[in-house]
Amino acid sequence: MHIASYLSSLMQMSRLVKKSPSVCTDLPLNSSDVCNKLRLMKELLKSSYGPTARLKQVHNNIGGAVVTTSTSSVLLQAISSSHPIVSLIKGSILNHVSRFSDCGLFASVFCLSLIEEAGRCDLSQNVIIRVNKHLLSLCTAHLQQEDCGCKVQLDFCSSQSLITLARSVISSKPTCVLSEPESAHISRLAVQAFLLTVPCNIPDKVRLGRTVTIPMEGHSVLESAVFPGLLLDTPENISLGNLCSPLRMVLFSASLAGDLSELGDGRIEVHQGVDTDSQIVDQLLELGKQVLKDEVKLFVCQKVIHPVLQHYLRCNGVIVIERLGISLMEPLIQLTGAQPVATLHTTVPWEAYGEVHVSVRPFGSKTKLHLHPAGKTTICTMILCHRNETMLSELKLVCQKTEHVLRLTLREPCALLGGGCTETHLAAYVRHQSKNDVSESSPVLGCSQTEYLLAGEAFCRSLESVATSLEHDDGASLIDLTHAHHWTLPSDATEEHLEDAAALCGCGVVQSCQNKKWSYLNTEYAEFSPEPLLTASPLQPTVLDSFTAKVNALEVAVETANLVLDVRYVIQDVN
Amino acid sequence: MVPLEQLHLSHVLQAVSALESIVLRSFGPEGGQVLFTRDTGQVMVSRSGKRILTALHLDHPLARMVVRCVWKHSTITGDGSKTFVLLLASLLRIIHATATKDPHMFQPHNSTEASEAATARHLADRLLEFALTELDELIVLNVLPHGFRVSLENFTAETHDLSCQTLLVSFFRTRLGYAYCDFFRNLFCELLSHWKVKDDRPSFSIQFLNNSFLALHTQVSGVPVSCSRLIEGQVIHRDFATPCPQVRKQPLKAVVFNGYLQPKLLTTGDVLELRCGDKVTEDRGIVHFSSWTEKSVESIIATLQSFGVSVLLCALKQSSAVLAAATQAGMCLVECVSEEEISLFTQLSGVTPISDCRRIHPEHIATLTFCKPLLLGAHRYVHLDFHDCEERLKVKPCSLVICAPSEGQADQHACAFQDAFRMLLTALEPVRKTQTALEETIPSKKCTSLHADNISNGTACRVHLHQKCVTETGCVISAGGTFEFLLHHALHQYGHSCSVSVNTSAVVPVSQLLAKALLSVPRQIYSRNLKHFLQAQTRVVALIPKQPHALSANFIHTEGPLGDGKLSLCSCKNGNMSLKLLDLGLESVSCKYQLVLAVLQCLTNLLRINMVLQTHAVLHTESHDSLNAHSESSEGEDED
Repeated sequence: MHIASYLSSLMQMSRLVKKSPSVCTDLPLNSSDVCNKLRLMKELLKSSYGPTARLKQVHNNIGGAVVTTSTSSVLLQAISSSHPIVSLIKGSILNHVSRFSDCGLFASVFCLSLIEEAGRCDLSQNVIIRVNKHLLSLCTAHLQQEDCGCKVQLDFCSSQSLITLARSVISSKPTCVLSEPESAHISRLAVQAFLLTVPCNIPDKVRLGRTVTIPMEGHSVLESAVFPGLLLDTPENISLGNLCSPLRMVLFSASLAGDLSELGDGRIEVHQGVDTDSQIVDQLLELGKQVLKDEVKLFVCQKVIHPVLQHYLRCNGVIVIERLGISLMEPLIQLTGAQPVATLHTTVPWEAYGEVHVSVRPFGSKTKLHLHPAGKTTICTMILCHRNETMLSELKLVCQKTEHVLRLTLREPCALLGGGCTETHLAAYVRHQSKNDVSESSPVLGCSQTEYLLAGEAFCRSLESVATSLEHDDGASLIDLTHAHHWTLPSDATEEHLEDAAALCGCGVVQSCQNKKWSYLNTEYAEFSPEPLLTASPLQPTVLDSFTAKVNALEVAVETANLVLDVRYVIQDVN
Repeated sequence: MVPLEQLHLSHVLQAVSALESIVLRSFGPEGGQVLFTRDTGQVMVSRSGKRILTALHLDHPLARMVVRCVWKHSTITGDGSKTFVLLLASLLRIIHATATKDPHMFQPHNSTEASEAATARHLADRLLEFALTELDELIVLNVLPHGFRVSLENFTAETHDLSCQTLLVSFFRTRLGYAYCDFFRNLFCELLSHWKVKDDRPSFSIQFLNNSFLALHTQVSGVPVSCSRLIEGQVIHRDFATPCPQVRKQPLKAVVFNGYLQPKLLTTGDVLELRCGDKVTEDRGIVHFSSWTEKSVESIIATLQSFGVSVLLCALKQSSAVLAAATQAGMCLVECVSEEEISLFTQLSGVTPISDCRRIHPEHIATLTFCKPLLLGAHRYVHLDFHDCEERLKVKPCSLVICAPSEGQADQHACAFQDAFRMLLTALEPVRKTQTALEETIPSKKCTSLHADNISNGTACRVHLHQKCVTETGCVISAGGTFEFLLHHALHQYGHSCSVSVNTSAVVPVSQLLAKALLSVPRQIYSRNLKHFLQAQTRVVALIPKQPHALSANFIHTEGPLGDGKLSLCSCKNGNMSLKLLDLGLESVSCKYQLVLAVLQCLTNLLRINMVLQTHAVLHTESHDSLNAHSESSEGEDED
């Protein structure tokens, strides 16, 4: 121990301000403090998992806005890292969520369970890491197989499975406070918006369009809607009576406020009597004249337009929109076919003009300018309404995640069974496989057969514990011993009443019947190979998870757990 | 008053032991990662001793000096930083023990401390001298015969040299752990075979990869490690500044710009005076100037169009007028491209960047097969490939994508790649280089080093050895302490013969000290089980035959390139043993040799210091722990 204290006296940054020495932890996973922190984090995330999750309120000590959420991306960002290991896990999961938008809580609960189980089973870390990696490759290989029991091929001919997928994402976020019809409505809108962004006539490569989301507070969720094209704020009360569609429009990317920023770093000395301002305004009006001559009826600028020019254009019947912002530039270019103009002195080339239909849409107290092209477009606008701000911001987040998840299906047109069934299925499969290949695998991995089985058991238990986390009302989690699906039993029912209490499994594909056998998830059961479902099953899954996101989450969770298990020393700069 | 701090041997030992205790956690097969958080909240994981030590921000002057030595050594060789600290600590401990036991060995001193320090200093100097003169021969005679030769000459994806693969696997295992060593070995080999210039030395392409690795790899976080891959062509780590058109005719023409496309009318210091009633400004005023710059942009774009150029890579940020003009002309423009990427691009395409936009010649125009956006993780990059690169440069350019769940891990993998290049370069270095340097400095040294029966033909032997070493590049030996065991044995034998032949038994033979210190390395490798340590030692020592000359003959037999690694390893005389040792992995002899030398140099430097002056400047303007290579090299290499 004296070495550690000596070391901390060695470690002082030689900067102007004396900094406090770094904190070192030897073998961090052996310290109860670290383990407690990890357990706390696991409990916190576990209780936010699934459609019946307990919500979390995040507020800081200086009176900032209170956020109510159960979304992993918001929750994890709110956890201020008290320990480097916590921030390591947090960073990995947040990275996953930012790439795939889904399964963040799954990944974090699984990762933390793996670390906790590894601590329990008293094996060398290297053995656990190697076995984890081997079992992970078993899982991913199984999931990639055509006949994998927990995979569903998505049928793009009907929107039903897409809506189910969207609805699973939306209903897993209880903070939105959506009723059944409301979440169905939002799911339909999400799928509609997604389908609008997929181009119809595909050239050599697909380029998806964009959904622009506009939140609107104080309206009923059922008033939310999706429109093709863009909705922009109207500058003032305008009448489109005398305008015939489609309109010619021009789009400026340079500022039209009358500044000259591109002259260089030198100084400009203006002598008395020279009026540069009026020279510039004259130049801007020249531009206005040319645009009017070319019969432009819609004048849009990314930045600010000089008030004189605005007034001049409006007086001549042109709709002027300024401060569009960089984010709407690209959709507007795609929508109208206009090319952004940044030159003030040369005449606007004819090709730079675009064409668009314009109409006015009233929305509650507001009026919006609706731009939609003559032909097909991949740009659409989604108006999201909700009763209050917290719910609305969560709803907006959820809709963006749903869009991302739906887009991922284009990469791999399949989904995984939700409701914990994929986890229990995988656990049963891995348990069965690892029992079978123990004699071949253990020498390759450099461990004994017992070690291999013990580590394998820890892996399966961690998977099952994720399925168990879906239940928050003291109900019991069970696995059926034929298909290895996940079932929940309410706390007031006993096992004998299972057939009546839970008619369907977690994902809604398997129906309970007389001759089914169940086992509690946290108890031991004899390993078995999960039977494939009958193809002619009349039941459609009611809960689906994104395949791409879940596979990635699985891999990220195991790799992060392996990394954490490999950490032997922690050096923490506490400045 | 400047506070003085008398430096005792025990202080030095204490500082180095503290460093050793950190490094030990990630040393050897049971070692793991060290996790850091910076004050910015950034998380970093590493198993590389160099990164661990440099991240410590030490304040102790001696510790900082050691870290600098480690840094310098591992920047060159890419490997051995943990062994460095281990060996240094072990040597210090032994010297400390020797000095305290017999402090008045050389000359009488006033105080015990002073005489201890003098003894230690003397021992260190003799150790260094011994290593500089005798170590290479001892290694050539006693270690190399048990090694293999790695050849990268016929390096293709299909027929790898087995020993080279094993060398890389061992390296990646020490850096990234068991889980990913095979995966990254394969990726590394694939990268190497893509960049292998036909009919050229492999070290050439490794050197190239090492130099341009920054531009050649992309780190992606949030994705599993197994998604790491090679992609053809080059990735520019910027997004298109103009919307990139969907379908294009191929091949594309591209140019690189160093400056602004829109001329800056006024440079810093220029003054534009706007007067009243001036003939020029009267009618147009300031507007005239800005319209002139816009016109010149148009003319540049028109010139580019006449050459058929459709991709512009710019080192600087361009004005919105330029972007709009490029968009209207249907050109893709990428701005703020880093210097490294531009340099790689120009090397691969064979063009020169344009600095004066008005003079564009055909030699500025590169031909690309494609140029498209590429989404990697959260970022959109520009992905391009060069036309007819295989004919011109005889390589297939490709970039490396390194994926990991977290940024820290991706960074760790990238560092491991970079160090693997350095390690291979060191491994491919012939041992001879240092020998010629030595011969220049000590040409008159008698060859007293060899065994009694060797003295007569010592000179001949030396010449013979040199000739052999010319061809001998890329020597490797089984990992797991084999090098240390063999050298320990050799040093032990040598010390024995010395003490017999030379009649100064009072002097402690320094070779014995080094031999003893070397054993600390395998002792740490097998720290979990002493039995394994003894077993490994017996196994290695059993390989050493009684007659050293027979061995070198044996060595010459195995000298030829190992076409099929496994077979020729078996054909080695101690075939069974060697194969068993191969399971432990391989490490480069050249790296090890340089490591021992570097440690001894660091030791000498450390023990030459006798006092620390703490000066208190008003402002700490002096750059602390600078990673500047120039100051490093000037400071550490005072081996006179």
